[in-house]
Amino acid sequence: MFQFLVDVLMRACDLMLVAIGMSAVYSLMKFPNIALVQYAATGGILAIVLQKIGAPVAVAIVFAVVLTGLVAVILNEFLFNRMLKIGSSTAMIGSLAVSLVFSAAFLVTVGPNPSRFRLPVSKPIRILDARITEPQLVSFAIVAVALGVFALLYFRTDLGRCMRATSTNEVLADATGINTARMKTIIVLISGVMAALGGVAIALKGEVDIQIGMDLLLPVFASAILGGLGNPFGAVAGALLISLVETVVTTINFGPLMGQVVVFLPVAYASAISFLLLVAALLWRPRGLFVSEVKRV
Amino acid sequence: MSDFIIHVTIMSGLYALLALSLNLQAGLGGLMNFGQIALFACGTYGAAIAFHFDFGAVSGFVLAVLAAALLGWAFASVGRNLQADYWGIVTLALAEVIRIIATNEDWLTGGAQGIGGIPPLYAGLDGQTRQLVILATVLLLVLAAGLFCRHLIGGRYGLSIKIMREEPQLAASLGYDTIALKRQLMAVSSVLAAVSGFLFAHYVSFVGPEQIDSSETFLIWAMIVVGGLGNNAGAIVGAFLLQFTFAFIPFVKDWIGLPSEYVAAGRLLLTGGGLIAFILFRQSGIVPERVGGRRYV
Amino acid sequence: MSDSVLAIEGVAKSFGANQVLANVCFSIRKGEIVGLLGPNGCGKSTLLNLISGVFPADAGTLAFQGENMTGQSMDHIARRGLVRTFQLPSMPRRMTVAELLHGAAARGAGFGSLFRRDASEMAEIDGLLDELALSHVRYLPAASLSGGQKKLLSIALALRASPRMICLDEPTAGVHPNLRHHMVGLLRRINASGITLLIVEHDMHFIRELCSRCVVMDRGAVIADCKPSELTSNEQVVEAYLGNARQKRAMA
Repeated sequence: MFQFLVDVLMRACDLMLVAIGMSAVYSLMKFPNIALVQYAATGGILAIVLQKIGAPVAVAIVFAVVLTGLVAVILNEFLFNRMLKIGSSTAMIGSLAVSLVFSAAFLVTVGPNPSRFRLPVSKPIRILDARITEPQLVSFAIVAVALGVFALLYFRTDLGRCMRATSTNEVLADATGINTARMKTIIVLISGVMAALGGVAIALKGEVDIQIGMDLLLPVFASAILGGLGNPFGAVAGALLISLVETVVTTINFGPLMGQVVVFLPVAYASAISFLLLVAALLWRPRGLFVSEVKRV
Repeated sequence: MSDFIIHVTIMSGLYALLALSLNLQAGLGGLMNFGQIALFACGTYGAAIAFHFDFGAVSGFVLAVLAAALLGWAFASVGRNLQADYWGIVTLALAEVIRIIATNEDWLTGGAQGIGGIPPLYAGLDGQTRQLVILATVLLLVLAAGLFCRHLIGGRYGLSIKIMREEPQLAASLGYDTIALKRQLMAVSSVLAAVSGFLFAHYVSFVGPEQIDSSETFLIWAMIVVGGLGNNAGAIVGAFLLQFTFAFIPFVKDWIGLPSEYVAAGRLLLTGGGLIAFILFRQSGIVPERVGGRRYV
Repeated sequence: MSDSVLAIEGVAKSFGANQVLANVCFSIRKGEIVGLLGPNGCGKSTLLNLISGVFPADAGTLAFQGENMTGQSMDHIARRGLVRTFQLPSMPRRMTVAELLHGAAARGAGFGSLFRRDASEMAEIDGLLDELALSHVRYLPAASLSGGQKKLLSIALALRASPRMICLDEPTAGVHPNLRHHMVGLLRRINASGITLLIVEHDMHFIRELCSRCVVMDRGAVIADCKPSELTSNEQVVEAYLGNARQKRAMA
């Protein structure tokens, strides 16, 4: 049972940070930025590459995450803002195009084969009936710390207050004297950093291939939309829900229901179920689970 | 070499049908369909399943067209008033679900291995002649489809779709059932996509789930954006241009002496980079949609 | 009531805690031109939206030409012959004025005509464009027209949709006085051809020139239903407009 909870938590951690980034940036810029999941991939892959060329793991991670955040800001400034002026649909296609370029870059730098961190081999730890590896614990710790720092920033600082104001109502925030252009840049930076950290957390637990970004796209959308765009902690709840459904669906033995001993759904259907949840969310609860009124989108 | 060029031309023609179809949806109807490849899949799998269960090619065609029309109708019915980008995400998610089902339901689709040995078109003819006849068939179809789309867009139906696209409330106040219009448009363009899929299955004689990855939809989007959104000739131009450019990447790679990853990377870079370039610098594409200038009736 | 074109019975509508309409009843006979007036916030725009199907009423019934239209969608109601214009008409950017006029009547076309535009309709559209003095902008994108031109265009579009009745939402708001005069003539001619008109308006001159009957609303209810000339002698009407000196002067 505890193993089940650990599995759910681990999968949720994969999604959480990236979903927070997506939730923040989608509601702020009013278009779904597909390139964000590639920032996650960049974080993980770049950290691995930096470690390969000699940097200690921690340093590699910090560099990778900060660099990715900067890339996010630059792309936003020079590409996405201009595309948004044409229209949000155009910006969405543009972000798709950018993510294709990222894929090309990954292919020529690290190649199509998966890569991993060089970590010391260690035995898994047993807690209750679950086996948890050291990298999984470190990854979880990173996610937890990132969440904590973000929460502190978001709820307890002036900067966080300004960010929340700008996300909720940009015009009003501007009118109250907040430098919304600077806030937007900061929000984009933080989203990029969160996404990259999410990618690092995934990379620490196993291997990453260049598809990791696009594989995250739909589950991250699902988490962000279920939690309500613009609500970062809703995205956390969304990630937990998606993860729970995915894990339940593939670990339940449907055998007894179908008159057989053992019937499991193929693992690939885990993602199919989360995609269907996303569709359901967009159809019936486009503003998220935590909003009482259902408005037409 | 000439065999190669004939092959690339045939593939370009099949993609042109897909591009014309997506152009009807996105260019005329403003429908951001990111699940276009699923409609193509109705064509390929319709042919493959009919072959697998010995139903015969004609049944395969009927199956393909019916499935596509139904799926297109379903896409249009999903979310009565869903915003364009949300609807785009829904279609992307549904197409991915279909691909996952195709990958896992071996009994129906051959699973990840797919279904091979599909009888080729014009089996009675010998090699070279057959290729040329297939080429002629495909090009004729592209011409017919192009003329069909042109007259559809230029006729009364096209006008009603344009009003629906630009001012849905105005359209409703004039008595247009916008959902019905969307459904019809999706059904018609889906059939076009399925025809392409059906021919494709009988040309390459093999159908598998890797052919219906979401990256294929993105490629078709690039074709219509580069070719000129809303313009039929543009869709055909975009298809041929991108296919021919892709076809020559391996030669360029060899000439420069780059490793094989560069082929896929080159395609991604061209698709993504091309999209970005056209969005930023020539938003109307190579052959832009004409508004107003054309002689009225 | 056998020749009543529009019959409204007990209609109510609230937005959250705000009751905008309460028990509104009146009917319109075929061929009338009725003005719908009232101070800001009286609910006349909401009533127009309810009649045309933008959103459903909370209570009450709406009947058009004897057929129950309660809760029907805007396109359903429009297909039955009740067409409306909007106060701030938004026009397509990627269609010309001529294309838009052509497309406005494309509904119900047979399959064959899907592929071409009817040349015979050109004459009708040309005539409309001439009448509205919009011939010189026929090939421009519809969105590039001025506000007043867009209002005239929206009346033309409503005409093209084969209406039995047209509801106009503040047709003269933001329109140049010269154009207003033009609009009066146009609407009179439209009415003469048998189309019933319901006009939500603030401009009293316009109402007096056109309407044979006025329905006045205040705070969600009908407070008067009379001829325009009788408005000034109606105490309730005067009281509703009290404090709005310009309206008082217009009514004097």
